[in-house]
Amino acid sequence: MFQIYLPIAEISVNLVVMLGLGAAVGFLSGMFGVGGGFLLTPLLMLSGIPPAIAVATGANQIVGTSVSGTMAQWRRGNVDLQMGAVLIAGGVVGALVGVFLLKILREAGQAGLMISLTYVFFLGSIGALMLWESVNAIRRQRAGKSMSARKASQHNWIHGLPFKMRFPRSRLYISAIPPLVIGFLVGLLASFLGVGGGFIMVPAMIYLLRMPTNVVVGTSIFQIIFVTAIVTLLHATLNHTLDIMLAFLLIIGGVIGGQFGVRAGQKLRGEQLRALLALMVLGVAIRILLDLVIRPSELYSIVPLAGS
Amino acid sequence: MMNTAAILRLTALLLALSCMPAGAQPAVPAPEVKPGTSQETVQSDISTREIAIQSNFTGIEILIFGSIDFSDSRTPGEGRYDVISVVRGPAEPIVLRKKERVAGIWVNGPAKTYGSVPGFYAVLSTRPFRAIASDATLKKLGIGLSDLDFGRYTMGDPEEQSFRSAMVRLREEKNLFQEDDDGVRFIGRSLFRATVALPVNVPTGRYTVDVYLFRDGEVVSKSQGSLEVTKAGIEAFLYQLAFLHPFLYGLLGVIIAVLAGLAGWFAFRRD
Repeated sequence: MFQIYLPIAEISVNLVVMLGLGAAVGFLSGMFGVGGGFLLTPLLMLSGIPPAIAVATGANQIVGTSVSGTMAQWRRGNVDLQMGAVLIAGGVVGALVGVFLLKILREAGQAGLMISLTYVFFLGSIGALMLWESVNAIRRQRAGKSMSARKASQHNWIHGLPFKMRFPRSRLYISAIPPLVIGFLVGLLASFLGVGGGFIMVPAMIYLLRMPTNVVVGTSIFQIIFVTAIVTLLHATLNHTLDIMLAFLLIIGGVIGGQFGVRAGQKLRGEQLRALLALMVLGVAIRILLDLVIRPSELYSIVPLAGS
Repeated sequence: MMNTAAILRLTALLLALSCMPAGAQPAVPAPEVKPGTSQETVQSDISTREIAIQSNFTGIEILIFGSIDFSDSRTPGEGRYDVISVVRGPAEPIVLRKKERVAGIWVNGPAKTYGSVPGFYAVLSTRPFRAIASDATLKKLGIGLSDLDFGRYTMGDPEEQSFRSAMVRLREEKNLFQEDDDGVRFIGRSLFRATVALPVNVPTGRYTVDVYLFRDGEVVSKSQGSLEVTKAGIEAFLYQLAFLHPFLYGLLGVIIAVLAGLAGWFAFRRD
């Protein structure tokens, strides 16, 4: 029932399952204010979509959800265009490097392995850190103490770097190098993992660039549109791994799910929300790790000869 | 799509039944008769000459039907004749990889390339085909999975053998390789039919359908047909765009995503 044939992945999937997958990830991303790519791409791989197609299609889906998100942030004036432009410049270079890297790995038959390993590393470490932080916050609250206000030092090593630029919206006058490097890393991750990279960018903007919190999310999600759009284009052009049919189903589900997620998220407390997200991130990391460690039931795999 | 398959099957069979007693127009290339053998000739056709893969495609069952002319068999169960039908999909080169344990994790290790592996291959026969003709005859005709060389010399070496059998097994699991010893059935004295299920992941391209008529272990007649598997509708459009104009295809993906995102924001906005 409701089977739909995917022209690029060349498999038949269930329409309802894919819409539901998009909606579930969209719901979570709306609830937690994250892109959701780090959940969507591994879930696609686990449901039988070839890894390289999952990455490219995941990136395309994030374009859609981040456009929705940016519109809402834009109207509240939470987007720093200058900062966004510098991040995008770095992101384009990162995306190019990542796409070529993936192409080489795919030809060597190691794309799936490297994608999985990188996921385990990032999801594992970020999930563990978030869980640690949120459990501590919940414990502090139970103990009746107020949230400790972090004393931000006004100057750090970043202020010593050259090529200083003015970012009026963020009220910053800093070197363009750190945002370029952050953008580059996010672009690399986006093209390699099919994620938006918000989970790296948001902490980096807060702790390294010391941007005001209100513009961080808006600027991050604004930058993600462009980086994932470029990643989508590059994968489609160089690797032929984008499945528009699949992306369309995921976007439809994601955009609707995301709106309900935002509403649900407002009813939950911040620390609890973060602890929940951390557990989910860790769960995905463990699942991918198990697939790598446990002896697979099938040792052999067939792929069409590259370039044919 | 059981319904479509069932209807196709029924129409084809009716068509066959209504045509055959009347003498039958040979729908497919004229059967070749070997000199010096008896008069029997086989004619066959396929229920579907063109299969279009659309978004609702979940695989399809095709019917191969035919008849033996100048059969001197009196009863259906006499067993004087045997029919073997071979369906071959377009061949392509593939790489087979084996996973190995490296530092505790399973990674793709050694790989072997096969120059020419049929995307689909099925042998259908009236009884176990090894019993119908000698190994030499079957090998000459390319009947049977064990007689295919896949564009790689794999004799002797045990590692080559284990790779080869793994590749055949993988394809069999996906129903892309089939051997059906009971796949061809006689209906009456000279009419026979065989059904073969093409799975959802069949490759596109031209398929050949060979039908061999055996008597006493020798081929007495052969008939050949073909069918074309193509992507159709939006599937075909997207596939062609993706490979012929990949940049435009990527752009289309981005535009659809942006429009869907804007539409979603507009539909749900609260300000």
